[in-house]
Amino acid sequence: MAADVHLWTMDKYGESTAVQKKVLIIDDSPAQVKLMQSLLEKEGYWPVGLSDPKQVENMIAIERPNVILLDVVMPDRNGFQICRDLKGNAEFNMIPVILVTSKDTASDKYWGQQQGADGYVTKPFTRDDLTRKVHELLSAALSRN
Amino acid sequence: MRHANVLVLTDETEFAQMLTACWQAERQAPGITVIGSELWREQDAPRHDLVVVGPLREGKLTNVLKSLYPGTAVILCVPADSREYGQLRTKYPRLVHIPLREDWAQTLLLVAGESLRRAEALRLARHAEQAAAKNENHATLGRYMLDMKHSVNNALTSMLGNAELLLLEPGQLSSQSLAQIKTIHSMALRINEVMQRFSSLASEMRDAETASQGETSDTAAPVSRRR
Repeated sequence: MAADVHLWTMDKYGESTAVQKKVLIIDDSPAQVKLMQSLLEKEGYWPVGLSDPKQVENMIAIERPNVILLDVVMPDRNGFQICRDLKGNAEFNMIPVILVTSKDTASDKYWGQQQGADGYVTKPFTRDDLTRKVHELLSAALSRN
Repeated sequence: MRHANVLVLTDETEFAQMLTACWQAERQAPGITVIGSELWREQDAPRHDLVVVGPLREGKLTNVLKSLYPGTAVILCVPADSREYGQLRTKYPRLVHIPLREDWAQTLLLVAGESLRRAEALRLARHAEQAAAKNENHATLGRYMLDMKHSVNNALTSMLGNAELLLLEPGQLSSQSLAQIKTIHSMALRINEVMQRFSSLASEMRDAETASQGETSDTAAPVSRRR
């Protein structure tokens, strides 16, 4: 099993604290959520799952994830809409969003980018595809901070 | 043009000889069969593209016309004052009639040529319709596969992911189970490759269609501007 992935932060006393990186997984299929959770857990992340796309903002406010994995084809509210809403929200727009979807055409990817997505992973993915993209975006976010 | 078949139905040898000779002098002569009314039996005859009915024995014309297949193109070449033809005109208003005058052979060849071209065009149109219906079926199948791609990819994600999870901790598995999981994993990857090839083919076809449509509208537009 891989070592836990930590984000080092300074607390108010100037002490550095390790915080396990939290990944919010949004997919209407609980089986897909569970699968991604298991894969990310093995890599040392702290995955949190959500199957109801209407609860995204509430969940983010509570969990404060470091990165979001977002499915596109979902009932009520699709991933493109959610991504657009998050990127238009000053409170959440710094959180990297990775679209994880079976929509694999160039126009889908372009449209995802237009909605402000930071990454795109096509289903079916391998463990490496998923974890590499999460790692890449977290590293980029860390270097920005 | 496909080689056409013409049936000349007449009891007058001179008519048949004249017509055949004129036709054979043309650049493109059809296959010609000459038969008299006594030997004529529609059910035994192969389908012809055109039937030329020349002078027949008294009382035979009605039966011959009645026996012909309704879709067959018929040119009737009899004297305009023929009593039997006079009665038939009302019954067959669309029958092409060439009166037996001095220039009948030349007129008949012209009309027959047009009639054969029309028959050929109809045949091609029927083939095109059949091909279009077949293509429509294939397109429906393709659209269905495209619609199903999302579900297949989701199922594949689960298969691949769960197999990978099991393979991450091989210690708990027997060697046989491990081999079976590896097979599931590699087969899922193979299905994924097939689906990706299908996706790229679909996208190529979409691009080709867009390009072809663009080119058609590009070439169609200047025509009106050129005027």
